[in-house]
Amino acid sequence: MRIEGQYTFDGPREVLWELLQDPKVLAACLPGTQSLRQVGEHEYEGEIGVRVGPISGAFAGQLTVTNEVPPVSSTLTVEGKGKVGFLKGVGNIDMTEQGPGKTLMKYTGEVQIGGKVASVGQRLFDSVSRGMIEQALGKLNEMLKARVASR
Amino acid sequence: MTKTLIGKRVLRNEDPRLLTGQAQFVDDVEIPGLLHAAFLRSDHAHARLLGMDVSAARQRPGVVAVFTAEDMGDDWQPGPPLVSPPPTAKDVLFYSRRQVPLVKDKVRHAGEAMAVVIAESRYIAEDAVEDIVVDLEPLETVVDLEKALQPGSPLVHDDLESNLAAHLSQKKGDYETARRQADLVLKRRIVIDRGAAAAMENRGIVADWDEKSQHLTVWDTTQAPIPIRNGLAARLGLSENQVRVIAPFIGGGFGPKMMMFYAEEMVIPWAAMKLKRPIKWIEDRRENFYATTQERGQIHDVEIALSRDGHILGLKDVFLHDTGAYDPYGLTIPLNTQCHAMGGYDIKNYSTDVSVVFTNKTLVTPVRGAGRPQGIYIIERLLDIASKELGIDAVEIRKRNLIPADAFPYKHGIIDQAFSPLILDSGNYWPVMQKALEMIGYEKFVRDEQPRLRKEGRHVGIAITPFIESTGVGPYEGARVTVEASGRIHVATGVGTQGQGHFTSFAQVVAQQLGVAVSDVRIVSGDTAEFHWGTGTFASRGAVVAGNAIHAAASIVRRKVLELASKELQTPQDELELEGGMVRVADIPDKSISLGELAARANPLRGAVEPGTEPGLEATSYFGPRYGATAFGTHAMILEIDPETMMIEIKRYVTVEDCGTVLNPLILEGQIHGGVSLGIGNAYYEKLHFDENGQLLNASFADYLIPSATEMPRIEVGHMETRSPLNELGTKGVGEAGTIPVPALFAQAVENALADRELEILETPLSPNRLYELWSQKEAR
Repeated sequence: MRIEGQYTFDGPREVLWELLQDPKVLAACLPGTQSLRQVGEHEYEGEIGVRVGPISGAFAGQLTVTNEVPPVSSTLTVEGKGKVGFLKGVGNIDMTEQGPGKTLMKYTGEVQIGGKVASVGQRLFDSVSRGMIEQALGKLNEMLKARVASR
Repeated sequence: MTKTLIGKRVLRNEDPRLLTGQAQFVDDVEIPGLLHAAFLRSDHAHARLLGMDVSAARQRPGVVAVFTAEDMGDDWQPGPPLVSPPPTAKDVLFYSRRQVPLVKDKVRHAGEAMAVVIAESRYIAEDAVEDIVVDLEPLETVVDLEKALQPGSPLVHDDLESNLAAHLSQKKGDYETARRQADLVLKRRIVIDRGAAAAMENRGIVADWDEKSQHLTVWDTTQAPIPIRNGLAARLGLSENQVRVIAPFIGGGFGPKMMMFYAEEMVIPWAAMKLKRPIKWIEDRRENFYATTQERGQIHDVEIALSRDGHILGLKDVFLHDTGAYDPYGLTIPLNTQCHAMGGYDIKNYSTDVSVVFTNKTLVTPVRGAGRPQGIYIIERLLDIASKELGIDAVEIRKRNLIPADAFPYKHGIIDQAFSPLILDSGNYWPVMQKALEMIGYEKFVRDEQPRLRKEGRHVGIAITPFIESTGVGPYEGARVTVEASGRIHVATGVGTQGQGHFTSFAQVVAQQLGVAVSDVRIVSGDTAEFHWGTGTFASRGAVVAGNAIHAAASIVRRKVLELASKELQTPQDELELEGGMVRVADIPDKSISLGELAARANPLRGAVEPGTEPGLEATSYFGPRYGATAFGTHAMILEIDPETMMIEIKRYVTVEDCGTVLNPLILEGQIHGGVSLGIGNAYYEKLHFDENGQLLNASFADYLIPSATEMPRIEVGHMETRSPLNELGTKGVGEAGTIPVPALFAQAVENALADRELEILETPLSPNRLYELWSQKEAR
């Protein structure tokens, strides 16, 4: 499944990039995150609870960040599995400055799901993932605005 | 013979029990101490099994045992080959790879069973399944049929050179010469996708091993209890008489409940013996989507050669057939496709070539229709295209090509699904088509109504599709008919029943012979303790093969009744008649004796009998046809499409069936209705969506649509009777007939309804979405 979209943040690109380096921030933003630990320079491990229609359960997995071009772009690779199935995904984020204090983030990705979450949840997975991304980016924007205000 | 019961619209004997919830299904079986099973199934479609940790599951309270492939030891064996090509078959390439009870080394389709948990309840068992930690190394998947055969493709079976499971070419006449003489040659690619059987009742098994009597009883939703009994005995090291398999009432078979030896069918009885405890497993709907066999995926590159006046000179078909991860069912489906791609037409030159392909998908075995709908779809699509190209009416082009009535038995010169020569035993095709045309008012609709409705801007289409169905194949079935001292008749036969009304149609055959009420004939089917010779319910053969065996046994009992009554009443046999449960002297109604009294006298408690006497009024008989009887028919429909939503309304649906002697028109109509329902699903709703990783994306009835009451039209059924010369009753099968022509008919009707754009439908199942895509690619005329 392909994921694609964009979001305009109310803050400068450098500050947004800084936030993205912080696992605590990521954990707070991603809905359903139960834990997120940094295990290597660019590697994280964690658990996330997901509900897709009638299917709900926890996925345990790794997040790896590669191709970093601060503060512009990076590639995220996610692999997770749980009792309701498995998930694999690769995504790219790309950020451009949009005038003073505005940053446009474009994201694209390919997600592969399997097991119960695919067989029963497929029809809803698209809207659920879209919702989760929207929610995460919204939360991240709130934190960005707070960080900017506190400076 | 007295009153004619055969052909009467008798209400079904079994319905009071079924409708009041008093019929026994597998899940109704309750045994003290019953344990429950749940299976761990693979999330991945293709993966190496590196390891499994079941320790946490074993420790969960209420769990009695957890078994993996390793725990089965030497009892772990792939399922038996069911209908592999005989060694005598020429030029057939066939690699037999059969399903396994539990995955040992490699997962080959999503949903394949890897371990089983046996627990005090299903809830505990399901929870314990989640305790199991599996280490799977995902592998590249094989999903697309063409890519599967390309060099370098990942392999479903590592020990084979490619994913080719089988290859078979057949030829009749000389296609290449026919092609050179043709005025029109059409070449098309036709794609047919996969669907589910979606029986109302999922599969289920209860196994009970009695250690003291050393006896295994298995209740199984199988269409073939006798082969399952024999196979279980062989695999479990028991005598066949130590195993009893009961196929009680079953909520629909449709093929996938055939003699598969599913993983669960092997594992549950094995575990019951191991634990010396009864175990129940009932498949849930999601498991059914993964673990119960499916059918229909084929890609055809097909070519037809015609003369200017619409005569078919030849047909050439090269196709791929998806068998899924294993091929226990041999070549039955693609052979049926090859035999039905000529429809009921007189085609002299035919060349057909199939490659069967392994993929990382659920196994493919026959589903109601079993390769026949694909064949009919191909020829009918080509004729529709030819009809437009040549400017010959759709009915006329078919009429010109139908096999004439005087050409039967018609020998096609290729082999059929039983590896016997394909012979159409009898037929009278055009009158059946004519009757369908009359019933639907074809001429008037095309002449008056359609133009009027089109002027109003409505998109209405009409279609008509003749078809044939090979039915009633061997090898044989048998039955035992007994007159009991109560005067009631007991009949036992080996074929199982899945809703076909056997308890009534078979009872009619017996009642006709013995002059009793249909309700006084009790049929027992599908219990190996009652009758243990036979193969099963498949290939539209119950009424033909079991029906004729029952008829033969009843005829012998009738003879015995008359012989005994003749002595008892001191009257010659030809003056006796059987009616109302009595044997009477024709002209002297008072001089009579009841069947019950005769049965009692045939089984005396004291005294001497003549040497060689057999006790009782009982007979066992068998019937095996020389080859299958071929039924035929024509379906017609009128439908309206809303081009904004592509929602359809079927305004009229007409079928005319000729399945030889009709035993009970009520039951026959029920078979047709059910068949048409699956056909409509195959045409417009039921498609299993696998993604490129072999994940099934619509494994629930929320996403996989089956026609419901709102999609089903009122079906008008007409009959004609051309008796089969191959059996005494003159019957042919009808179980699959309703399904076979529907996708072809539907495509024709859709093209006709949307005639303002030159649509060419070359795929099935369609869907509103897909039809909209096809439609919007075409410019309005």
